[in-house]
Amino acid sequence: MPLPAFWVMNPDLPQFTAAEHRGRFGWLDVVILAGLFGLLWSVLHFGGGMLTHFDEHAMPPLETGVWHIPYYAGRTLLRMWLAFCCSLTFTFAVGYAAAKSRVARAIILPAIDVLQSVPVLGFLSATVTGFMALFPGSLLGVECASIFAIFTGQVWNMTFGFYHSMVTIPSDLQEAATTFGLSRWQRFSTLEVPSSMHSLLWNSMMSFGGGWFFVAQSEAISVMNKNIKLPGLGSYMAGAVERGDNSGAFWAVVAMLLVIVASDQFVWRPLIAWADKFKMELTEASQAPQSWVYDLLRGAYVFEWLAIHLLHPVTERLRVLTQRFVPAGPRKSTHGFSLSKLVFILLGTALVLWVGFHAVTGLIAAFESVRNAVSLEMLAKIAWLGVLTMLRVLAMTVLATLIWTPIGVWIASKPGVARIAQPLAQIAASFPVNMTFPIVVGLFVAWRIPMNWGSIFLIAMGTQWYLLFNVIAGAMAIPNDLKDAARTYGLRGWALWRTLILPAIFPFWVTGACTAAGGAWNASIVAEWATWGDTTLKADGLGAFIADVTQRGDTPLIICSIAMMSFFVVATNQLLWRRLYSLAERRFRLD
Amino acid sequence: MAQPSVTLTAPEPQKPPVIAELRNVTKSFVVAGGSEMKVLDQIDLAVHEGELLALLGQSGSGKSTILRCLTGLTEPTIGRVLCYGQPLDGINPHASIVFQTFALYPWLTVEQNVAVGLMSKHMSRSDRDAAVEKAIELIGLSNYHAAYPREISGGMRQRVGIARALVSAPEILCLDEAFSALDVLTAENLRHEMISLWHKKDTSLKSIFMVTHNIEEAVEMATRICILFPRPGRLGLVLENHLPYPRDSKSPEFQNLVRTIHETITTLTLPDLPPEPTPVAGVPISRARNRMESIPYVPVGQILGLLSILRDTPDLTNIYDISNEIGKEFGETIGIVKAAEILALVDTPKNDVQLTELGQRFLSEDRIGRRQIFNDQIHNLRIFHIIIEYLKLQDEVEADQILKDIASALPYDNPEKILQTMVAWGRYAGIMDFNANTRTVFVLKDEDEEHS
Repeated sequence: MPLPAFWVMNPDLPQFTAAEHRGRFGWLDVVILAGLFGLLWSVLHFGGGMLTHFDEHAMPPLETGVWHIPYYAGRTLLRMWLAFCCSLTFTFAVGYAAAKSRVARAIILPAIDVLQSVPVLGFLSATVTGFMALFPGSLLGVECASIFAIFTGQVWNMTFGFYHSMVTIPSDLQEAATTFGLSRWQRFSTLEVPSSMHSLLWNSMMSFGGGWFFVAQSEAISVMNKNIKLPGLGSYMAGAVERGDNSGAFWAVVAMLLVIVASDQFVWRPLIAWADKFKMELTEASQAPQSWVYDLLRGAYVFEWLAIHLLHPVTERLRVLTQRFVPAGPRKSTHGFSLSKLVFILLGTALVLWVGFHAVTGLIAAFESVRNAVSLEMLAKIAWLGVLTMLRVLAMTVLATLIWTPIGVWIASKPGVARIAQPLAQIAASFPVNMTFPIVVGLFVAWRIPMNWGSIFLIAMGTQWYLLFNVIAGAMAIPNDLKDAARTYGLRGWALWRTLILPAIFPFWVTGACTAAGGAWNASIVAEWATWGDTTLKADGLGAFIADVTQRGDTPLIICSIAMMSFFVVATNQLLWRRLYSLAERRFRLD
Repeated sequence: MAQPSVTLTAPEPQKPPVIAELRNVTKSFVVAGGSEMKVLDQIDLAVHEGELLALLGQSGSGKSTILRCLTGLTEPTIGRVLCYGQPLDGINPHASIVFQTFALYPWLTVEQNVAVGLMSKHMSRSDRDAAVEKAIELIGLSNYHAAYPREISGGMRQRVGIARALVSAPEILCLDEAFSALDVLTAENLRHEMISLWHKKDTSLKSIFMVTHNIEEAVEMATRICILFPRPGRLGLVLENHLPYPRDSKSPEFQNLVRTIHETITTLTLPDLPPEPTPVAGVPISRARNRMESIPYVPVGQILGLLSILRDTPDLTNIYDISNEIGKEFGETIGIVKAAEILALVDTPKNDVQLTELGQRFLSEDRIGRRQIFNDQIHNLRIFHIIIEYLKLQDEVEADQILKDIASALPYDNPEKILQTMVAWGRYAGIMDFNANTRTVFVLKDEDEEHS
């Protein structure tokens, strides 16, 4: 019997054919190949420098010439990327475990919550000695300590972000993966990573930006009465300031900016542009992120060639290999006994027990040493210093809000300005201002500004930008119909701010202020205690206290003060930020 | 095919062999407050070889849960799922699903999305490519290989979903409301293609199991229709449908079958009860309906809209015509009518809907008068007394407390939705309001008393 026409091609629909590939190498491919080999060479070259002999008593002095800056910049950059790779690995492993296992989740989530509140810089003394003992006589120990500091600065919100997007994958996509019998690895690579890609990249970019602060700080450290300098931009800057070498300091700042901008333009922007296809919405975005590097790379044939001649054969071989171990067809339900499950559980339990054992014994040891060495009055004093620093962080947040909210809203109202200002604010937030603290402190000395107030400014220098670009993003996200309605009803001035602008940017402000305040605690360790030549300026605060005891290597007090700072951070998170977040979520969501 | 063969179910002795079946399946979910909600109750359902089985039910009746049990996505709380006589362990290897939301991966091209259907199979790259190409060809997606889902229309997206489901050569294809997210024309076109695909028998496909709330869709496509009644989901009528393909929806046989289904649903959902005495002011209200009865999740505005339509078009009485007139699914229309009925604003003799005397009076009143009538009627509903009793003792009561009580009183309902509906009705009646910040229901201060 006749059935209706099977399918009528609509002539209006665009014809989709596979992109025409030229199948030929062009000059672009030559440039890219050269770039790839250059990258490989630099990794080996700068990496070789990490393995040199190191003797803490006979450290070679750093080169002072300006022409050495590129080498130092390379060392710093390599450190950053190594730390980022570690963070990414950790993120996948731990975020995956937290999303998949209820037991793991119950341990991991609270642990991350506490760990992200611990001021990383306070730990440098412990980690440096630990890693140096691990690699005696090699610079690798100090390198590892620096990389570890960056890692702990950036890993937590990446892990949490990955976990969060793993558990919010739409259930229909999950069910599709289940019905088509995807294996764990297939599920991970076709569903779980792609659907988290967008948030993973944004979190990575933010974390990477935050990492510059730690790399600059951890390259030139004074712990246990030792002054250790790793070859890098941060230490070069510190050396230049010590010598009073103004042009050296200037070029170091320029190099730092260049490295940050290059990372942004050559890595993050292309990645963000590429990741646009991983967005969940099935509608075409009106404004896709742009990147000239990405556009350039897409025109190259070399990647396609590599995929066909290298990637596909390798994956095919791997697939054939793994097929021997995995039965065909959909997976059976895993009820009852299975050997792999048992092994997995045993390994997991062993890991938890091992970590738990060390954590508990460490805690007991720490508690013992603190109990014998720290008096109650000392503890009270540390708490009081914590209150002072908290007031400083609070003052910074309030002042930055008052200053940057109107400016941010104004910038957002001018699209032309916003397009320039937003990336600038992001770069400013990435820039390790702690490199420039000595210079600012010099001004404080000259103008006789007391450090107790000046340190607020120093803290704000690094953290205020988070507020600015979040406010800009929030003000730009106000829907046009709401703005039009406000204009129709003649809302102006304070009435407009109160009814539309402030509520609309509130969720963004909370994000920005929370990030800024979190960063401020870490910054206080370097901002409340700064040296300019022979003068050392010191504010009354927990940050200065930590800096002081770290330098002296007074272990019980280090433990005590770091615990106190962590306590303050956790307490403000619980009492203030979490509540503001839920308020923003409940009342001021725009959808 | 001489006689129009629409027969009510009678177990036939020689049915084709069963591919997959549910035996005595009961399924419960844990809902808010930790109590269990029974979604399916003792379901026996088999998919036979060569049939196109439609499971028809309103939203929330548990039909998607049945589909998920049959494909192995969920396991029944009680009962068994069999496939070729063997208990199902994990995912059903003989079945494949087409999702209502398409469930395509936005980051994969059409070709890659279809290839997902073969990921669990051990095939060489060339075999796989050939199978994908064949499925793409079969479903009319040539030229679309390299397109991303967001670049193509909804109809094309669902074609990708169908191709992905067919590429692994399943014996049963499960359609989970596969056409309801599409516009009318596209859906009609795809339905025809599905029928021809199932008819042609040149693939491994033996049977189609479709889940839908659309009565015409079921009658147009299926050889057998099972109707699922909600709260808890249980199978009602089972109809054999031997109308020849292609089916003409205007033909009297088609219309007959549609009417039979309508009538069955109507009589089971809106049973004809003896008329209730209308409440008289001053006389204590007798609780005519003694057992705790659920309320449909219907906003007040829709009840008012129904009443206005009944008043303005006196000729419009048949519930099916009303459904067409207001442009709602039959299931939804039934819900609205039922809401008006339990408030005694309409009466439903057989398939008709008529305004009651109270309904007439309600319409003629002003805002305050309407509120008063609504208030009185709400007090007649026992479920509302859960809240009313609390509010007599205290000014506000925690939502969680009420949810717990609702869950124990109506074990087959979603307590959150019931509470939402009750708050909406209570707000209109001016007796209660809900504070989303504190999650409490509180007594509304009576404006009229304040005025006077």
